[in-house]
Amino acid sequence: MGYFAESFTELYNADGWMDMGMYIGAGSSGAGWWTVIAAVMLVGVLVKGNSDEQDHYK
Amino acid sequence: MEDQILALTAEVAAIKSAAQVTNTMFAEMYYYVTIPLMVLIHAGFLLYEMGATRLQNVLSSGVKNLLAFAFTIAAWYLFGWWFYWALPTWPLDFSAGAGYMEISGLEYANAIAWAWGDSAQYMGPNMGDNASGVFWGAFALFAATTASIASGALIERIQTVGFVICAVVLGTAAWGIAAAWGWHADGWLVTKFGYHDFGAAGLVHAVAGFFALGVLINLGPRVGKFNADGSANHLAGHNMPLTVTGLMLIIVGFFGFLMACIILPGEGWSWYADKGTTIYGTPMTLSALAFNVPLAAAGGIIGAWVMTRDPFWMMSGCLAGIISVASGLDVYFGSTVIAVSMLAGIILKPCADWLEGLGIDDAVGCVTVHGTIGLFGLVMLGILGSGLPGLGAFAPEDTVALSLFGQIVGAVVMFLLGFVPGYVVSWLVDKAGMLRIPDAVQERGLDAVKVPAQAYPQGMASPESES
Repeated sequence: MGYFAESFTELYNADGWMDMGMYIGAGSSGAGWWTVIAAVMLVGVLVKGNSDEQDHYK
Repeated sequence: MEDQILALTAEVAAIKSAAQVTNTMFAEMYYYVTIPLMVLIHAGFLLYEMGATRLQNVLSSGVKNLLAFAFTIAAWYLFGWWFYWALPTWPLDFSAGAGYMEISGLEYANAIAWAWGDSAQYMGPNMGDNASGVFWGAFALFAATTASIASGALIERIQTVGFVICAVVLGTAAWGIAAAWGWHADGWLVTKFGYHDFGAAGLVHAVAGFFALGVLINLGPRVGKFNADGSANHLAGHNMPLTVTGLMLIIVGFFGFLMACIILPGEGWSWYADKGTTIYGTPMTLSALAFNVPLAAAGGIIGAWVMTRDPFWMMSGCLAGIISVASGLDVYFGSTVIAVSMLAGIILKPCADWLEGLGIDDAVGCVTVHGTIGLFGLVMLGILGSGLPGLGAFAPEDTVALSLFGQIVGAVVMFLLGFVPGYVVSWLVDKAGMLRIPDAVQERGLDAVKVPAQAYPQGMASPESES
């Protein structure tokens, strides 16, 4: 899931940088998978946080 | 017809000249604005450090923090700037010759970075040079930030002048050499190992964090921190709201710090005519920061919250979140940033507790937040970003791409560049009797002994401050 270009020469021409996403996982399903992972982590934190909070009210 | 062409040519030349003036003035203003924004980091550190200090030592911590800022900036002017330009190829090239880009080496540094002789023209107002001053100012604030990071760990038992000596070594030599090696297009870590550290997770944070660890080993804990059986006591600072607000100000300043890491286009010193880049000449936009910095702050807070529920650690998690992705803020996708920074927030407190279990009294978690998480960030980028070209399109063909191996080498170098000078200089300062404040003075309170002012003259008085 590393970077998608071996050299920036191929991404730069007389018109400037190619207009495209230049991030790790660009052009692959990587971005979507990271979004799934981040969403699951956020929900997991909320579940854990709520569980601990409810313990304080008992 | 010929006259019309000549007139049109002259008009185009005038328009191009005006556009270049606008570009130059924008670039000058851009870097200039980063300087006051970075001063906010120091306002934050000042509040953070004083809030984390107990009532009897508040002003003493303030004095120490202010002096780190002041002396580091002065020392950066006198010799720190020279380190950065002179040493990118050293010690691989033991004579410190110029690198491929020909903006480094002893000869180059001697020509532009000393405040005397011919190079003095670049170290003061110069109508033909819009760049040197604003770059120097931004780098001076990077240096001061590096020194201030270590300051908080050492509160309530380090002598003032001894600390200033440590801060100057950290802010000039340690950070200057780290930046020369890993944050310069001719730096050997970059050209030979593909080291990538856009937002200075290693160069600034890890170096400062592990410099602090080296000093802490010689300095010892505060009186009352550890019990005879080795268990630790929590020495709560006198004002948590001040500390938390200070941490938030540091985050504000980070935006200036990080925007100063971008090389603008269209100038003689730019990599490209039409797009901004990192200091490595690799492409990036401010939008990368606008996406990733807030997401990293959010992830760090959330991760620390679920582990601690403590606002101090949540804001420390905020810092840690940004530091954990700082190396790759230019290339990370937003969701990746959320996941990595949240993980940093989660591991933060256990790492700090582990360090405390070793008998290290790090008063504000500096070693963990900046050191451990800085190295964590470097390695994470090696895992996730392997293959990223090391330099931009104008780089030499043998430039090495980013790799896990290169990032680990960089992490080890940054650890050593922090820890070794920190340990050695504090050992020397200790031998000179200038490191640790005597225990009896710590028990009495530092402000009462050496600060001719009171923090709260009409309230919050403590027996120590009144004595």
